[in-house]
Amino acid sequence: MRMIGFSTGALAYADYRLGVAMLQGKAVDAIELSALRQPELAPLCEGVDALDLTQFAYVAVHAPSSVRRDDEPQVVEALAGLAERGWNIVHHPDAIHDFSLWARLGERLLIENMDKRKPIGRTAAELADAFQRLPHASFCFDIGHARQVDPTMTVAYFLLKEFGSKLKQLHVSEVNSRSTHDRLSYASVLAFREVADMVPEEVPLILETPVPENRIIDEIRIAAAAMNAAGQELATAGD
Amino acid sequence: MNALHSPLFQLEGRLGVKWQHLRAAKERSIGKRSELLKAIRRIDSDDVSVVVFGSLARDEFTEQSDIDWTLLVDGGVDPQHLSLAARIEAVIAELADKPVGREGTFGNLAFSHELVHQIGGQGDSNQNTTRRILLLLESVAVGRSDAYDRVLKAILSRYLLEDRGFVSGSGSQHVPRFLFNDFARYWWTMAVDFAHKQRTRFGQGAAIRNLKLRMSRKLIYISGMLTCFGCALYKKDDFGECPNSRRTAECVECLRQKLNATPLEIVADTFLRFPHLNATALKLISSYDAFLGILATPEARARLDKIQEVDYAADPVYQEARALSHEFRAALLELFFDEVSGLSELTKMYGVF
Repeated sequence: MRMIGFSTGALAYADYRLGVAMLQGKAVDAIELSALRQPELAPLCEGVDALDLTQFAYVAVHAPSSVRRDDEPQVVEALAGLAERGWNIVHHPDAIHDFSLWARLGERLLIENMDKRKPIGRTAAELADAFQRLPHASFCFDIGHARQVDPTMTVAYFLLKEFGSKLKQLHVSEVNSRSTHDRLSYASVLAFREVADMVPEEVPLILETPVPENRIIDEIRIAAAAMNAAGQELATAGD
Repeated sequence: MNALHSPLFQLEGRLGVKWQHLRAAKERSIGKRSELLKAIRRIDSDDVSVVVFGSLARDEFTEQSDIDWTLLVDGGVDPQHLSLAARIEAVIAELADKPVGREGTFGNLAFSHELVHQIGGQGDSNQNTTRRILLLLESVAVGRSDAYDRVLKAILSRYLLEDRGFVSGSGSQHVPRFLFNDFARYWWTMAVDFAHKQRTRFGQGAAIRNLKLRMSRKLIYISGMLTCFGCALYKKDDFGECPNSRRTAECVECLRQKLNATPLEIVADTFLRFPHLNATALKLISSYDAFLGILATPEARARLDKIQEVDYAADPVYQEARALSHEFRAALLELFFDEVSGLSELTKMYGVF
């Protein structure tokens, strides 16, 4: 059974405590603590000991999507402290200025493929550069980004073919034409199924879809069906 | 594609010839596309691509060529798209001596949804079919190609995913039949439209259209045929073993890359794989090179643009071009009915019955 959970950023924007609280008591065993904006990282590091994360078998942290060059050493230092807890650190390749700083995170660093707004990291060919500079880094496959770049899922296929052996986490959402995350549509579920068999069951799935608390379980059910290689019945009802 | 790596010029080396008109046309095409790129800067975006077709896309541009173009839209609706098209039209008018064709196939907006969803059926107009097939076989995005790439992949994906025999590998040959049939339909549509235009335009421009049908239109078609047949003929390519062991996504990408080449490069690539057809290659491409030489000569081109049917028999330029088209056809028949390469079997099975 795949571990599935949510990004706190999708549920509660910058309020990671609220995001955690929204998932508590629900049948959710994975979580990604979001510090997508750089000023959110320090509060997260300071408050993390106070969080009750016992229900989550898998915990990851999303690093800031934009890091000031001068602050990069401090950001890496802070993230390394979180990685020492055994948590994976998801990061955008376009947010890296000095690759050598990030090498210390080893395989705990998960490089994510980008959406179509970004000039790099969208395809296997573009992402290869980041992995060449960080050969020990792992891969976070954002299937919503890959579908936005190429709805035929050809780009998704080649990302998984090229970096499947490094795959440690999956990001799932619908990424709309304005490049914002949206709830999963039937079309995205059908598209995701094109490559579902290439994502092993042990790879945790983190949803980035913005849903209210009472829709969390519905959304998890739909994501699970979308990424079920065996072709589980699609369950798009719920509204 | 780098000129040195072009299969066309590799073939030149093998055959010990120099196709000077093709070389000159390629240089002109690159130069003209570069001018266009500078002139349209910032018109393109992630959602729209400026796409050129015809001789400019095929690397066969002459000073007498027009510039066929369209603004390909694959994104949210925006009233400003029309203003972008108007801007491109003004730019093209400065860069080309001749206006685009009368049919409205080019020089306008084209929308991805029609191109991807209307394959066959009542909604697939002549214009839509032509745009779609020419996007696949003779187009180049000048500037940002995000929208262009998405649309091409989506079109190819439809042809392949909905071809049950191709996906399941149930056929005796690994040829994408749905795609092949649409290439063939395009060719026969062009041939029938020639007769229609001859009638409705009272013969005006019929000579040059006839010669283009015999040469450049036919070239487009055969490049499509060879691309489809290549799936069965070439057991190994950049993507590894083929056929049957491959997922459709790989086939989409493989075909996309093959179709990045110009029609003549696709033909030349075929000849490079079959050295026993060297004499055929020489005949086919040399006749095309000579035909391009006629088109690139202003007086000859002007004559072909104006000549009436009653003068065909006595006109030396028309007769020379016609003789070249016969040579071209003879070479094509040798190529497509060659048994050693396996093309003959495929031509009979897919091109006839």
